[in-house]
Amino acid sequence: MSEFLTLTVIMATIASGIRLATPYLIAALGETVGQRSGVLNLGVDGVMQLSAFFAYWTVLETQNLILGVLAALAVGLIMGLIYAVVTVSFHATQGISGIGIFLFGLGFSDLMFQRQVGTPRPIKQLQEYGIPFLSDIPQVGPALFEHNLLTYAAFLMVPIVAWVMRSTTFGMNVRAVGENPQAADSLGVSVARTRYAAILIGNTMAAIAGAALVLQLGIFQPNLTQGLGFIAIALVYFGAWRPVGVMGGALLYGLVNATVLQWKAQGIIPRSASDIAAMAPAVLTIIALVVLAGRVRPPSALTRPFTRH
Amino acid sequence: MNNKRKSLSIMRLLALLLSLAMVAAACGGSDDAGGGSVAESDTDLTFAIVAPSASDDLAFTQSMVDAVKALGIEPQITDGTFVVEEAASAIRGYADDGVNVVIAHGTQYGASLAEIAPDFPDTTFIWGTATDTQGLDNVFAYYPEANEGGYVNGVMAAALTNSGVIGVVGPVEAGDAVAYVNGFAKGAEAGGAEVNITYTGSFGDVALASEAAQAHLTNNADVLTGSAQMVVGAVTVATGEGVPWFGTQANQTPMGPDVVVASQVYHWEVVLEQMIEEIEGGTLGGKAYAVTLENGGLEIEYNDGFDLPDDVKAKAEETIAGIIDGSIDAGV
Amino acid sequence: MTPPPPQTGPPLLEMRGITKRFPGVIANQDVDFDVRAGEVHTLLGENGAGKSTLMKILFGLYQPEEGEVLLRGEPIDITSPSEAIDARVGMVHQHFMLVPTMTVAENVALGIKSDRGPLTDLDAVSERIREISEAHGLAVDPDVEVWRLSVGERQRIEIVKALFRDAELLVLDEPTAVLTPQEVDDLFVILRRMTEEGRGIIFISHKLHEVMALSDRITVLRNGRVTGHTVPAETSRENLAEMMVGRAVKLSPHRPDVTPGAPRLKIRGLSVVGDRGTRAVDQVDLDVFGGEILGIAGVSGNGQRELAEVVAGLRKPEPGTSIELDGQAIDSASTRERRDLGLSYVPEERMRDGAIGDFTVSENIILVDHGSEKFSASGLLNFGAIKDHCNKLVEQFAVKTPSIETPTSSLSGGNIQKVIMARELSAGPAVLIASQPTRGVDIGSAEYIHERLVEQRDRGTATLLISEDLDEVLGLSDRIAVMFEGRVVAIVDHDDATREGIGLLMAGVFDEEPATT
Repeated sequence: MSEFLTLTVIMATIASGIRLATPYLIAALGETVGQRSGVLNLGVDGVMQLSAFFAYWTVLETQNLILGVLAALAVGLIMGLIYAVVTVSFHATQGISGIGIFLFGLGFSDLMFQRQVGTPRPIKQLQEYGIPFLSDIPQVGPALFEHNLLTYAAFLMVPIVAWVMRSTTFGMNVRAVGENPQAADSLGVSVARTRYAAILIGNTMAAIAGAALVLQLGIFQPNLTQGLGFIAIALVYFGAWRPVGVMGGALLYGLVNATVLQWKAQGIIPRSASDIAAMAPAVLTIIALVVLAGRVRPPSALTRPFTRH
Repeated sequence: MNNKRKSLSIMRLLALLLSLAMVAAACGGSDDAGGGSVAESDTDLTFAIVAPSASDDLAFTQSMVDAVKALGIEPQITDGTFVVEEAASAIRGYADDGVNVVIAHGTQYGASLAEIAPDFPDTTFIWGTATDTQGLDNVFAYYPEANEGGYVNGVMAAALTNSGVIGVVGPVEAGDAVAYVNGFAKGAEAGGAEVNITYTGSFGDVALASEAAQAHLTNNADVLTGSAQMVVGAVTVATGEGVPWFGTQANQTPMGPDVVVASQVYHWEVVLEQMIEEIEGGTLGGKAYAVTLENGGLEIEYNDGFDLPDDVKAKAEETIAGIIDGSIDAGV
Repeated sequence: MTPPPPQTGPPLLEMRGITKRFPGVIANQDVDFDVRAGEVHTLLGENGAGKSTLMKILFGLYQPEEGEVLLRGEPIDITSPSEAIDARVGMVHQHFMLVPTMTVAENVALGIKSDRGPLTDLDAVSERIREISEAHGLAVDPDVEVWRLSVGERQRIEIVKALFRDAELLVLDEPTAVLTPQEVDDLFVILRRMTEEGRGIIFISHKLHEVMALSDRITVLRNGRVTGHTVPAETSRENLAEMMVGRAVKLSPHRPDVTPGAPRLKIRGLSVVGDRGTRAVDQVDLDVFGGEILGIAGVSGNGQRELAEVVAGLRKPEPGTSIELDGQAIDSASTRERRDLGLSYVPEERMRDGAIGDFTVSENIILVDHGSEKFSASGLLNFGAIKDHCNKLVEQFAVKTPSIETPTSSLSGGNIQKVIMARELSAGPAVLIASQPTRGVDIGSAEYIHERLVEQRDRGTATLLISEDLDEVLGLSDRIAVMFEGRVVAIVDHDDATREGIGLLMAGVFDEEPATT
């Protein structure tokens, strides 16, 4: 136990938790925007898998990280467009459509990987940059202020998304469309256009999350996300549809995971309890959801297609 | 009217789902093929393989397809059957068609095989990875003694560490992974090193494997190893930090050309050849075969790109010889 | 038939020869309708008469097959609500178009281009809302979230929304349905002020006395056609009702004098916790005598529903509550035991609590008695007896249904209510609880239901009538109990009751000492 309490180990664990939290945070923030507009996207994980693969493949072929992120963005836009057409224009049931997107992402990324790459080969990873001065703080600096650009971007997105939702007309339209689309429609706010935009934002962010995951790891393999996208959806509920809450959830999830791994490496968690400990983050999320259930209310129009009548 | 439109779009979605599921089914995999050195067999037996992922997956399924082909046999193949029921009907179909040897390449096919095999007493079924034949006398089983290569890797790791601490990243405490990890720990500890073992709880979570490796490094480990698919995440950490890595199940050199020291690889053709001999001799099953260092089914493949000191390599070869002649016990 | 409408200003809106068909239905046939600046033009008609179709055409939600729409003398083709808004046409919907989680200012600003580009400009919006509310006497706080507001306040926001967009023509769809009489009076003052500014108002309602009070002109629709244009000075409520229904209608049933008998329903100290966890009914004492209708007046949500549910046995009261039916304590009796003692219940949610939609008319009629000796023997239903009984009741209660084997859900609201009434009244109840008996019911059926309720009273039934329709309560009740915040704040005799007096009590304006029986 005492070993864990050394500052070095604690700081390394926090840094690890932040790295783990990054893809969850980006994906969950995007899903927050989508859900606030009344659209649930269960396909987040599939979009992440596809974008992760295309980011990986692009970097493998070009050694250019920026091109990799752009490839992921393109995947996100295409998948978002498909999902928007299906659920907004054709009023398809959101639950099953999202599962369709998920299965497509899982299957197609796997197929492409087998055909185009085969054996996992390492690619260039995202480089970590220290924030001047802050990263020089002994111990604390490297843990908090020495990360890759996508991690910084993820945490910067928290106030940005909160601000967009609160202080822009677009954000107001998104909230209105998610709560009472009839009201928005009656005032000339296009429900379809607003939801298209929110879905595209959500999918693009899921795609960046996929890119962040694969470019942090520097390697790809089929089903890379292991359900990360679904946890991200749970984090949206956890965070009560507020960016700061979502960030809290993502950090909690990442830090618990990192702590469990640290304790396993040190033998604090005995090997016999290893598999049970691995469930800790999921169990914690479920407990939090149960405690929160009923206290917060999802957007009223969530999962409900809009039709005029 | 509204309802009708709704049901139509659901039908469309279901069709989409089905086609996607088929794409998904065509993929997946775990192990890697080896390049065996066994003489071509001139058997007249006909072979079929039923396997869960694509036959060119460069992994689990391909390792068996390559092994059969290495014997000069052209098998019939049903691949991508990761739904067990589909695999079962394929296995039964080949037996019905009169194929002599049906290879059910997946632990998960065991229950189906227990139902099918008794109906075809003149057909041999080969099933793995599994350590027993479920008492069926027309079933051969195969599995790797992964602890042996683990022990050899462990001995080398102990020789390479400066800090005296070695980190191991495992998936779930089950199957080949446990044999490898335990063998590795035994070998490393015999060399005087301290071994920290983390089972992440997942066969697939690359990010967790990566952070588990980081955690080992935080705790002073300076040599790493691990087993199962998700270790690719740990290999990249090893690469990033310039820490030696030991692989298993497949030659992992392509993943970490600078840090992979050696990998334990499987050659199924060695045991397949023994099984064919038995079948031609009239015994259709009832035995489990292990690929081992001794029978050549396990092989330590060194990475030429890693500058392994000669004395360490010599120690490894010594250990291999010791395990083969029984003077070293790698059992766990 | 009627003289030409008075010229109060230039025509703001003209809809000429509008025809709109849906498969199997003509929703509007050759409808002419116009509004002048500065007038209130009422559109009157029953549900399904074609009022909302006409308004949806005005707002671009439907395109007419024939006819044209002119705004300020110019033909205009409106294809979406935003085009209507741009043309300065506004609407206050019956079901408020508000986002409860957003502030008043955000609700008002929604859909309007901000002066700050992509950023909201809520301070300026709030400022303008304050100006508008001051100018029009619409007290509204722009910074409060809508979910905190009362129904009356929400309606004011809807009007502010329209004024903010400078609507010159404003449509109000059933705006008084949820308001107290005082709030209605306030609303009318506001609307009058708006017409004085030269705006035109289309008022949609079926409350005849309000129509008479507010309108400059009235157009009546029936089955998609205009059946009359008139002005209040030249018509009467009876006259309007006849135009709506197509035949003479008695609006208030004749109530012969009946000497009330003994109290049949005796309630003492009734308290109950509502769905929100707070006390919905607080220490209510009531006596309902045989041969009287006791009406409960009150704004929706003041405990009326919970009171009815407790007496019917659907909701458990707090300890200390005593309910007697003909001298027998029933407060802990099951619903079945209550029925056996002579309690009948016409519930507010008729499709949820009153009838099973998928069941046939006959199945719903015998629903509570299907196990009795009349209709079954040894657990087997006696179909012959059931058929005779049901055919008799369907005829007696004038239920319009193809047959007694028709699924109940395919009947109109009025006829479903008649099926329920037939079942509940056929037993000759000692006590009848009737909750919102004519809500959503056409005038003809309402008239019929009212007659039946009075008839039952004349036979000695003690009736507890709960209704949000004050006209109904005033017209039917021998005594009127007013509920406010879970308490009975006054009980007024029929002859002493006025709309204004009851309205003040409903709004919570009364002497501190609540009245008792």
